Amino acid sequence: MSVEARYAVRSVTRNARRTALAVLGIGVGVALALFMESVNRGRDELFARVGATSGSGHVRVVPGGWRARRDVRMRLADPDGALAAARALPGVTAAAPRVRAQSLLAMGTHVVPVELVGVEAAAEARVYRFAGKVSPGRWLEPGERGAVVVGRAVAERLRSDLGDEIVATAVGRGGNIESLMLRIVGIVATGGDDTDLSVSHAALADVEALTGLPGAGEVALVLDDWRATAATRDRLALAVRGGDEVMTWGEINPEFEGHLAQDRATSRFVSGIVLLVVLLGVASAQLAAVLERRREFAVLSALGMRGWRMVRLVVQEAIALGLAGGALGLALGLPAVLRIASRGLDFRSFMGQSYSFQGVVFEPILFGDVGLWIVPYALAVSVGATVAASLYPAWFAARTDPASALRVAQ
Amino acid sequence: MTEPVLAARGVTKVFRQGKLEVPALRGVDLVVREGEFLALVGPSGSGKTTLLNLVGALDAPTAGELAVLGKRIASLSRTERAELRLRSLGFVFQAFNLVPVLTALENVEFVLELQGQGTERRARALAVLEDLGLGDLARRRPAELSGGQQQRVAVARAVAARPRLVLADEPTANLDGENAEILMHLMRDLRDRHGMTFLFSTHDPRVVAHAVRVVTLVDGRVARDEEKPEEAPHEILPGVGKPPEARG
Repeated sequence: MSVEARYAVRSVTRNARRTALAVLGIGVGVALALFMESVNRGRDELFARVGATSGSGHVRVVPGGWRARRDVRMRLADPDGALAAARALPGVTAAAPRVRAQSLLAMGTHVVPVELVGVEAAAEARVYRFAGKVSPGRWLEPGERGAVVVGRAVAERLRSDLGDEIVATAVGRGGNIESLMLRIVGIVATGGDDTDLSVSHAALADVEALTGLPGAGEVALVLDDWRATAATRDRLALAVRGGDEVMTWGEINPEFEGHLAQDRATSRFVSGIVLLVVLLGVASAQLAAVLERRREFAVLSALGMRGWRMVRLVVQEAIALGLAGGALGLALGLPAVLRIASRGLDFRSFMGQSYSFQGVVFEPILFGDVGLWIVPYALAVSVGATVAASLYPAWFAARTDPASALRVAQ
Repeated sequence: MTEPVLAARGVTKVFRQGKLEVPALRGVDLVVREGEFLALVGPSGSGKTTLLNLVGALDAPTAGELAVLGKRIASLSRTERAELRLRSLGFVFQAFNLVPVLTALENVEFVLELQGQGTERRARALAVLEDLGLGDLARRRPAELSGGQQQRVAVARAVAARPRLVLADEPTANLDGENAEILMHLMRDLRDRHGMTFLFSTHDPRVVAHAVRVVTLVDGRVARDEEKPEEAPHEILPGVGKPPEARG
């Protein structure tokens, strides 16, 4: 270790009380930033997971041109190839083909407009979270024809119940009106009327027959790790053929993504304010320390120490302070992060059992994220803030006029 | 004849305090040659410290010509002045001014590190401290040393890099008579053995007695410049200043 580095580290301990207060301030700031970041990441994961498993998938293969037209009658050029390619990718939990049709569901005189979704029962059960929440009734059986699972709001509007037969009507190939008789085998209460209305799932073959358009209109993928969404999109885009395209859930639901980005920006802004306050406190303490040592910097200058080396000396002191503050921040923040990661922040007391946004139902319990990221994050935030805070005091030290500082000292 | 270590001609320094101009030097003419042991004396406010600061490239003259080791101080940039101080000048201050969080050894080693010396710098710093009788105190911090010991460490720091010119501002002002005597002998010895030039300011008549040349400043001007016959140095600390093999 160089003498300069030893000098910097020991200088931090000169005024133990001031250093302790600065480290405490940094530690509290870092702990708050850790907590906020954990909540941010947890919310990102929640939105991605809930959004993806509510129908969009983390990644989706769509027909070429669908991005602009969003027409449910469009079909994939190579649905089997897209499905095989999706299932072959690492990190893909499940991939399911789908076909959609704008339909009217009717029973007696009651009619409900819905987007009827044709699915492969077994594959869909792995990518669609409400497949496991059917009550009363059950999810679709593999290979089962003429069956439908609907949301509770759909069933109520149709005045229908489990076992009732309803008619699905859609515009078929060539503009003909086509109909299909479906029996309700399951009803899903998602927790939100908007989301309930999005549930009307039948066999993929039934919807193909209803529309007269063969093949899947999309392949939805759910991933083991939502953070791999963009990378998976890029890899899959290289594998699909025939002009088919690959989109992320954020690209499919830009409003949803925008809301998430806004939330993220707001909480990072709050974290930034906290860190700015800490930074100003550290800058003030460091400036006081530099002013106290004005004669010392004058002597260093007299010995031939250049300005940039003085800047480096003060910055090294800041790094030592930052590392100590980061360690304290970890000690203070880790228990809180672990707690929200295991128990979550429960908003049910004032938000009810669920809330819905953009047609997606959320359980109002937010789990924080915890992982190895917290150590480099805490140290980077802490050292980054203290180094930034030290730049003005360091510049001030480097500008010390040795003659006048020594004259004043005498 | 060799180039003078210091050549001052009509050097003037005026400090501004608000609208007030305070002249500290009023046209100093002085030439100092290699190996001189020169005392600057004079009453408080006569300009001794100001002249040392100018010679030490810590400040620039308001007017006049000042060349140190052949370099015109007024024309040097901030970086060039720092380089001159680092490579060619050594400073000893009245208040010792050691870095309090570094040991005696580290204080000396730090200057060598600033010069960019490699791993050999520690051994060299220790050798200098041993040369000045401080080998046993090398691991102590300044607060654990007496005033006399601190000032000897400061001298070690000043001479470790073998500068051509050592500037000492009232080096004995905070020392008792015995330590002042020891310090002056050490500086004389360093000058005799290494050929360094010493320029020091002082009020202390006992210190002036060691000087080979005494320049008296009065009101910012050289009032007197006298040379004295050199006395043979005598050993003040056993072994100090002698090569290790010559120490008893």
